[in-house]
Amino acid sequence: MIASAALARSRGGLRRATPLANLILLLAFVVAVLGSPGIFVKLGALLLVVFLSALSGGAPAEVLRRGRFVIGFSVFLWLVQVLSVRDGSVLFSFGVPVTDRGLLLGVEMAMRFLVIVLSSLLFVAVTDADRLARAILSLGIPYRYTFTFVLALRFVPFFREEYRTVREAQRVRGIDRSIRSLKSLRRSIRYTVLPVLVAGLARVDTVAVSMKGRGFDLHAKRTVTRRERWHPIDVAVVGLSLLLVAATILARERGWQ
Amino acid sequence: MTGPSGSGKTTLFRVLGGFVPSMIRAKVEGDVLIDGTSVLAGDSLRPAADVGLVQQDPDAQICTLNVWEEVAFGPENLCLAPEEVNARVEESLASLGVAHLAGRETTRLSGGEKQRVAIASILAMRPRVILLDEPTANLDPRGAREVFDLLRSIGEKDGRTLVLAEHRLAPLLPLKPRLVLLEGGRVVLRRPSISHSDLDSLGLRGRWEIPRPQPARGGPPALILEGVSFAYGETPLFDRLTLRLWPGEVLGVIGPNGSGKTTLLRLVAGLERPQAGRILRPKTRTLGFVFQYPHQQIFERTVRREVSIEEEITGERLIALLHLARLDGLEEAPPLSLSLGEQRRLTVATALARGPELLLLDEPFIGQDRENAAWILSQVLAARTRGAVALVVSHDIPLVAALCGRLLYLGDEAFEGETADVLHHLEKTGREAFTPGYWDGGSQ
Repeated sequence: MIASAALARSRGGLRRATPLANLILLLAFVVAVLGSPGIFVKLGALLLVVFLSALSGGAPAEVLRRGRFVIGFSVFLWLVQVLSVRDGSVLFSFGVPVTDRGLLLGVEMAMRFLVIVLSSLLFVAVTDADRLARAILSLGIPYRYTFTFVLALRFVPFFREEYRTVREAQRVRGIDRSIRSLKSLRRSIRYTVLPVLVAGLARVDTVAVSMKGRGFDLHAKRTVTRRERWHPIDVAVVGLSLLLVAATILARERGWQ
Repeated sequence: MTGPSGSGKTTLFRVLGGFVPSMIRAKVEGDVLIDGTSVLAGDSLRPAADVGLVQQDPDAQICTLNVWEEVAFGPENLCLAPEEVNARVEESLASLGVAHLAGRETTRLSGGEKQRVAIASILAMRPRVILLDEPTANLDPRGAREVFDLLRSIGEKDGRTLVLAEHRLAPLLPLKPRLVLLEGGRVVLRRPSISHSDLDSLGLRGRWEIPRPQPARGGPPALILEGVSFAYGETPLFDRLTLRLWPGEVLGVIGPNGSGKTTLLRLVAGLERPQAGRILRPKTRTLGFVFQYPHQQIFERTVRREVSIEEEITGERLIALLHLARLDGLEEAPPLSLSLGEQRRLTVATALARGPELLLLDEPFIGQDRENAAWILSQVLAARTRGAVALVVSHDIPLVAALCGRLLYLGDEAFEGETADVLHHLEKTGREAFTPGYWDGGSQ
């Protein structure tokens, strides 16, 4: 994972930016790799995400080392394209013809995957959940809706822990957890989802009482005491995001491959 | 306020707080008055302004990601000015001695810290009445002691009204409380004050007398841990832990939250591998593991199917098993519709159905009244009599000290031995909260 200890320790680079600016950058990366034709913009986006990771505390070598599963999977995607695409000129053949179109589509697919996954991991690594929550709460959207997002973040570790415990309880009781048929899949889902859901519902009840008891939803608005303030680095991050989107539009207009 | 599980304490607290019937639909007769004003009159402002409720599970009631935000949550909902919010947060955290936690993530707090933050978040609302529903039930003895000390200081300094639901009454006596005993949804006893002698005469002391025969240690040990080391990331839990348990021995595992008690059970069950050392145990097919919360190990749609997950149990054997668990006639009932006590008896009976040689129990007494706790004890004792080894993780110190011939303390240091020796060492080293005396009034 790119969300390495080095990134977590670092306070530099994108960690100094407000989570909203980082979220805009993440969206720009997604737009760039999904909206641009060919590999030109995608390669630029890939180099940029590696550079930003390094700037934020993860050395490029470490990023590559920790992201080896992601890289391995992108190579797999490339291979699938190379071996399955028949369009274009045949470059060589070893039983299966390899075409120039297949090679290019494979590189595109692999880069798309790499940029989306690496930029998402970078976003997770450089963003404090509570700062993100605060930023979203101060957006001006009615807090009844934005607070749903904060609660979702609160529930993530809980569900992760409950899931682990339930799976262990199944193991201790010798329940066969392998999935070999639709029936065993259904049973596995029921055995896992039901206990986790029961725990979740109990917790929702407690949280609802806790929130209501402290005046949640009492007024249409609430005080926001602490706000995420914008700094020059945030302007720079948003500017970079706009550049990425502009490059994508230009690539589409001018047919850069 | 005290009483067995299901006596209506939590429901009554929700009525007192105005959550029933405004939020949870129910038919309510009569009224709750605070300074002459009705809580139930339908004014949704009342719960927030007048009554604060601290619930049992310190983790579940926290709804934000940061301590400061959590304490500010209520005042911000009341639309107070930012300066006032800041002042209240600082004052509440400081009054509970946890100002240093202000910048911390709520997910990284200990159980005791979480409960303090929960209480601080209520204090920041400045309610006239604070309701605390078993606020120490999920805490380790040290965290629970912190909360009791805190309540004493709130009672002495602020003069607020505190209403507490609690099973362990001895540590509360310095608060000079009034006592209400609930049973089956009714008040069966009121006392304007209580003393140590009242606890004895009313049977509320919480002491246990359990015969503890010395098991023979002639043969080979049934469970061996040899130089076991384990760490989560960079946090070491055990360092070269060595243990030998013989058939018929019951080991109590105690210590603060996060000291590795559950991890020890998981290691013995083979769910984790030690990073050093080895564990020799009976074959896993004769392992019985009771998890902390019954719903985590209930999977089937009926009680009958639930007990038959590992192997089909029918006829006389099924009837006997359900009778043992006091679940007669409930074979077709959905297990998750049973009460917490019934669910606990079901999971214990299921774990014991195959006569395990090794029994692991993780906080089996949480949320159980004395009658259910006594039933669980009887099952552990029966397993001990037929030569099973049992490891019992529990924060209920009087109970675990009475049940177990040996104790293992895990914490800043780990030590193990005969129960009396370990308790003596704990008392001598300033860990009185981990001795029965603190909880049953033997020592303050």
